[in-house]
Amino acid sequence: MFGWKSLFHKRALDAQLDSELRFHIEKLVNDYMAQGLAREEARRQAVLEFGGREQIKEELRDVHRFSFVETMMANLKSAFRFIRKSPSFSLAVILTLALGIGANSAVFSAIDAILLRPLPFPNGDQLMELRQYNPKTKSPRTRLAPVRLEDWNRMNSTFQAITGYYTEDNSETSGPLPEKVTQAFVTPRFLQVWGISPALGRDFTAEEEHFGGPNAILISDRFWRRRFAADPNALGKKLRINGYSSSIVGIMPASFLFPDRDVDLWSAVPPDAPIAQNREWTWYLAIGRLKPGVTIEQARANLATVQKQLGSAFPKTDADLTVGIEPLKEKTIGGVRRSLWILFGSVSVLLLIACTNIIALLLARAAQRQHEISVRFSLGGTRTAIVTQLVTEVFVLALAGAAFGLLVANAASKVFRSLAANLPRVEEIHLDVRIVAYSLVCSVVVTLLCGLFPAIRGTRNNMSRSLAQASRTQVSARNPLPWLLVGVQVALAVTLLAGAGLLLRSFQALGRVSPGFDPSHVLTFHVSASYGETSDWKGLTQRIDRTIDSLGNMPGVETAATAAALPGVPSHYQLELKFAEGQADPERKIIAESRFVSPGYFATMQIPLLSGELCRKTPDSLKSINVLVNRSFLNTYLAESTAVGRHLQEVPGSTFLPPGEIQGIVGDAREAGLDHEPGPTVYWCTSAADPDPFYLVRTATEPMAMVKALRQRIHEIEPDRSVFEITPLEEHLSEAFAENRLRTILLAFFAATAVSLACLGLYGTLSYSVNVRRREVGLRLALGAVRGQIVKQFLLQGLGVSLLGCGAGCVLAAMFGRVLSGMLYGVTSSDVATMSGVVLLVLVVGAIASLAPAIRAARVEPMNVLRDE
Amino acid sequence: MPIEKSELLQGTLDMLILKIVELGPVHGYGISQRIRQISKEVLQVQQGSLYPALHRLEKRGWLAAEWGESDNGRQAKFYELSAKGRKQLASEESNWHRLAGAVGHILETAE
Repeated sequence: MFGWKSLFHKRALDAQLDSELRFHIEKLVNDYMAQGLAREEARRQAVLEFGGREQIKEELRDVHRFSFVETMMANLKSAFRFIRKSPSFSLAVILTLALGIGANSAVFSAIDAILLRPLPFPNGDQLMELRQYNPKTKSPRTRLAPVRLEDWNRMNSTFQAITGYYTEDNSETSGPLPEKVTQAFVTPRFLQVWGISPALGRDFTAEEEHFGGPNAILISDRFWRRRFAADPNALGKKLRINGYSSSIVGIMPASFLFPDRDVDLWSAVPPDAPIAQNREWTWYLAIGRLKPGVTIEQARANLATVQKQLGSAFPKTDADLTVGIEPLKEKTIGGVRRSLWILFGSVSVLLLIACTNIIALLLARAAQRQHEISVRFSLGGTRTAIVTQLVTEVFVLALAGAAFGLLVANAASKVFRSLAANLPRVEEIHLDVRIVAYSLVCSVVVTLLCGLFPAIRGTRNNMSRSLAQASRTQVSARNPLPWLLVGVQVALAVTLLAGAGLLLRSFQALGRVSPGFDPSHVLTFHVSASYGETSDWKGLTQRIDRTIDSLGNMPGVETAATAAALPGVPSHYQLELKFAEGQADPERKIIAESRFVSPGYFATMQIPLLSGELCRKTPDSLKSINVLVNRSFLNTYLAESTAVGRHLQEVPGSTFLPPGEIQGIVGDAREAGLDHEPGPTVYWCTSAADPDPFYLVRTATEPMAMVKALRQRIHEIEPDRSVFEITPLEEHLSEAFAENRLRTILLAFFAATAVSLACLGLYGTLSYSVNVRRREVGLRLALGAVRGQIVKQFLLQGLGVSLLGCGAGCVLAAMFGRVLSGMLYGVTSSDVATMSGVVLLVLVVGAIASLAPAIRAARVEPMNVLRDE
Repeated sequence: MPIEKSELLQGTLDMLILKIVELGPVHGYGISQRIRQISKEVLQVQQGSLYPALHRLEKRGWLAAEWGESDNGRQAKFYELSAKGRKQLASEESNWHRLAGAVGHILETAE
């Protein structure tokens, strides 16, 4: 049919032609020889008689080649004619596909950028994240000590290099006002591991990486543009950070957004600095680059051996530690993977519904074109040729759909990017050749899916059927196929709708949760600080306490406090603890969420004190500390004895956290996330667990109205520090569920589209059925049928199919619900209320979609119909 | 007086080929020989028209072709009439007869 052979097996064809013609010439030679000519002369005569061999071959090739191009062109031409002839039908198909393919390509562009592509570094798949952890405890301290990092780097044989970094928010004070900058402190080999070099300038020198060497920094492209207006002379200029002056030696490329998007400056931490020698420090997030060809398992085995050697060399600090290695990409994208695949699945279901819709349209169309098809058959067209032509028509439509789909995708991925600004790697999403190719593949799949089946079916039984019969479209009104398709659409729409419903209800449930604290009228912010201050913890605590007191005295501020983590924003910090006084069951492990807060925290967050008293300030939190426990801690671990006065200490003991004396019991609050039931929690009362905690201020009025006054106050008491990230607590809480919200919004949107498409399908099929059965209806009306009966009959037909679709959809929805179950809150995956709501909604919409065709059926004028015959 | 060789009427070649092939599988050389023999050397088919015609008919599905061994043991492409080709031949033949009859009739009566 296509003459593919002549296209792809040109050489084979040539050989065949050659041998066919040569045979003819041989025969002629034989003839002449039989007439008595010598071989040479015979050959000469034969070739002469045969004529231009090459010319004939060329003509033969034309026969083959031309037929292929000709069929293609003819098919395309007739496809365009078909589209022109039925513009509304074509437009409907193209728009449906543009939506379907566009949405699909948009989600795929996100999946491609976030999940499929390697990180944007040379050989990004070699990058690994390394952690140290103690499998015997639940202690979350997994950052790496500087000396241990150097040990790992020196002793391993599977990594090209291992590096580490940590960030802190500091103030840069060389300008008129302190400017907040995010500074990354990096170990040697940092750029080597990422495999990049500065866009301008140079990497750190060995001298700069030694203790006592010159202070050098690299700056980000963003900072370079903001601060120096992209002036290349910025190299060599000095910046003053936390009182230390450093020269700019390099400017990083704009694409370097790892490890953190907001890093402004990188400076080297000399591994030989005296402060870096403690094996108990937990400073670094470590990144390593595997040697080529090394697998992650080999690296794990290798590092485990290295750590075992360290364990025998330093039994006190290293014996219990193990090494965790994960691909950096996995760590970067985290939990987004599941959300994205669910969205992709939903959007594919949407495309499937669109395809089913189009199949139904095409089937109806094929029935109308029976006549045309019959004519073609009788003119000698083969079935393959006619099917090819019908499929070509669909392909042209699908291609147009994909082209418009790309426009839709472009717009959709912009919306997606703004909705999903918090997603990792979201800035890497863009439309490129891969997405165009994907859309093309989509359109081919759509063509095969939608075009082939109606074409094959439409040309069935036509081989022998004569034109006589085709003069009137004889489509059985009882043909179950279109109804099956409608049922499938309804079922798929119900599935998506149920999923969206479950997510929406989770969201609703989340909104109704009583968090145990009051997030309204609370403003949060940071004040720049450096980890260097932890060398004098007492001074640090005094400084932060002074700030808290000063803030608390401001007019318009009710209370002020600090906390290491924000309440209600998902974060876990679970420590294993024991009572210093011993406990009834020594085997029982005490695991509790640990929060580090200043004494004013409970008043600020309005967490009620149930018994005992609130914390008192302790002068040096490294020596003694007060703690409060929540009700659920009391119920879980202290049911049989009194709480106040007992001492809690970390297992194993650490130098940072002295035993804490329990002062009182507070109410349960959802500290670790609004979607988490409050668990046993211990509040360690220190304002300075971290040099840069969150400041929390409860305001009398609208919190954002206080911003200016707060900035001013901090500037008065801490002129060298900057205030940043001033945000109401409620905004943090809603941001914490941004991914959740994105998922819900998109799925709801897909579901709404799916339901509309399914209704369109129902409407179209019913209308078509009404059209086909006009004669029957007319006849019945003429014989005295009541119009109400006709309406009822068609309405029930539409509803019946919807109901069956709903039934099948509920089964699918139950499966979909199981996929979603980890993302639900406050509803089960087979929530009856949601399901019945969805079914009811679909039935109502289905009834509305069926009503118009049913009424149209009843309006048939018997006389008109019978006259038409 | 030497017999003049006639050119074939447009479209007749296809019919003649089908007719020859109807007798049984035959290769291109065989077809050209037979047309010449049967027409007593009046009709001579150029290979330049014969082979394109054969391939066209094959493409249309009126002829089926297969490679086989010829009488001198060489590989040759044999053409055979397909069911569709048989139908086509029948309709062309009857057309031809009608046309020839009509033309003959005109020639006779107009004399």
